[in-house]
Amino acid sequence: MMPFPGDVVEPAPGSESSGMPKIRATGVRKQFTSRRGPVLAIDRIDFVAEPGEFISIVGPSGCGKSTFLYILGGFIAASSGDVRVDDVPVKGADPNRGIVFQEFVLFPWKTVLGNVTYGLARQGVPRHERKERARELIDTVKLTGFEKHYPKELSGGMKQRVALARTLIMDPDVLLMDEPFGAIDAQTRVVLQAELLQIWERTTKTVVFVTHSVEEALYLSDKVYVLSHRPARVREILDVDLPRPRDPEAILGTPEYVRLHKRIWALLQEERGKDVDEPG
Amino acid sequence: MSTSPADGAVLPAGRLRQLAPVVLLPALSIAVLLGLWELAPRAGWVRETSIPPFSDVIGEVFDVLSRPGFTTNLASSAERWALGLLIAIAVGVPLGVLMGRWRPLYRLVDPLLVVSYPVPKTALILLFVLWWGAGTVSRVGIVITGCMIPIVISSYHGANAVEERLVWSARGLGTGALSRGVRVILPAALPQILSGLRLAIAISIFTVLGSELLIRGDGIGAYMFTALDNGQTLTVFAMSTIVATIGFLLDLIYVQAVRRGLPWLEGEV
Repeated sequence: MMPFPGDVVEPAPGSESSGMPKIRATGVRKQFTSRRGPVLAIDRIDFVAEPGEFISIVGPSGCGKSTFLYILGGFIAASSGDVRVDDVPVKGADPNRGIVFQEFVLFPWKTVLGNVTYGLARQGVPRHERKERARELIDTVKLTGFEKHYPKELSGGMKQRVALARTLIMDPDVLLMDEPFGAIDAQTRVVLQAELLQIWERTTKTVVFVTHSVEEALYLSDKVYVLSHRPARVREILDVDLPRPRDPEAILGTPEYVRLHKRIWALLQEERGKDVDEPG
Repeated sequence: MSTSPADGAVLPAGRLRQLAPVVLLPALSIAVLLGLWELAPRAGWVRETSIPPFSDVIGEVFDVLSRPGFTTNLASSAERWALGLLIAIAVGVPLGVLMGRWRPLYRLVDPLLVVSYPVPKTALILLFVLWWGAGTVSRVGIVITGCMIPIVISSYHGANAVEERLVWSARGLGTGALSRGVRVILPAALPQILSGLRLAIAISIFTVLGSELLIRGDGIGAYMFTALDNGQTLTVFAMSTIVATIGFLLDLIYVQAVRRGLPWLEGEV
């Protein structure tokens, strides 16, 4: 197997043994100003992710779960509260926290290779080294042979593979994913989920995964945060105690899966019931 | 699917029936126009000094092209056109892009665009002559004025509509604010900028010709006016044909160049 950037060769000294969480968000609030006045999107969320943890965030549509992810990424600032990664306050975006969006936002004027090598080029990595590392990543996301294609020539699933490779090449400790498979057909989604798990297991990155699919959250995560209807608060945190590696079909009938699924579903039903002004 | 020989024989006819309206009907309208143009003066419906027959015009086109006076004047028109267009691009694209990314600048410049939009730009040439005389400054100035608005507006819209997540992706991959302008905003806005530029090319030809017809001196417009003064209707027709053909070819070349130069572009400019 090809070496993969971020492969853990030996137990990392320092942060992990000291028990410091990878991400710690405390009392995060976010208020937007709209034409009708201030709107509270997020109301004091506390969030902790241990190093290497896979955490999903689910919640009713429009509840502010993506907004919270953007705050973790440093793309937008919280109105109040504290967000730390490795105990360092988050101030702006950083290649060490990679993000993949639902919309396939590749650079349309760059080829697959150009998209994947983009971040390394900004860091001044020499051309031949960029290419070499890009080839590994393109191989990881199974797009070998498509290096010279432009995004317009790719399917949705392929575009999202490129987006994933473009983020992973920076070897981020934290991977933020904003409903990354939401706009992909069901069959491709299953394949991409399995591949994401493989990559995660090999690289032990900390993943925060926003989704509206309970099934997806349970298949992928160690822990599921259920958020309330807007303004978003943490309704409940559930540990997903299913052994890994997981088989997406085999877990479906297990008592643990059924229990969690029922519980999350009930919570979401309750929260959706509060949705009076914006149905759907 | 299997195709029987009978199907194979039917297919071309079917395709022909599909193509007929697309190719034949436009060709028909052109043929009727040219036919009338040829027939009307020959049949005596109009005077040949008003509308010379099409075939005579084509003959005169080749004659005009070989005159050194024509090529010299064409060259000076082309120079003003290119200079004006280049300056308009060099100023208009950065201005429009900055407006699209920085609201205060938009608020500052937009009222000027709104007010000047309906002003017929060729009419301004008289003011320009009053201020700067009938030289290069006025002539290039009118071209700049003419194509500035479509270039600024398209650049503004292009930059303003850039998908925010695309900018975030670049931020997340370590692109600083200034670098984002050049590496992300500009290429992302490029499809719209190029559409505006196509419009600007057409307008710039129109303004350069219009200014020369108004203030004479040299240039292809002035050369045409002199021919009209001398009663050379045929020459005027030939030159108009040449100018129209140049405009048509420039647009064709532009579209082809964009298509080949930017293979990533979706749709047309």
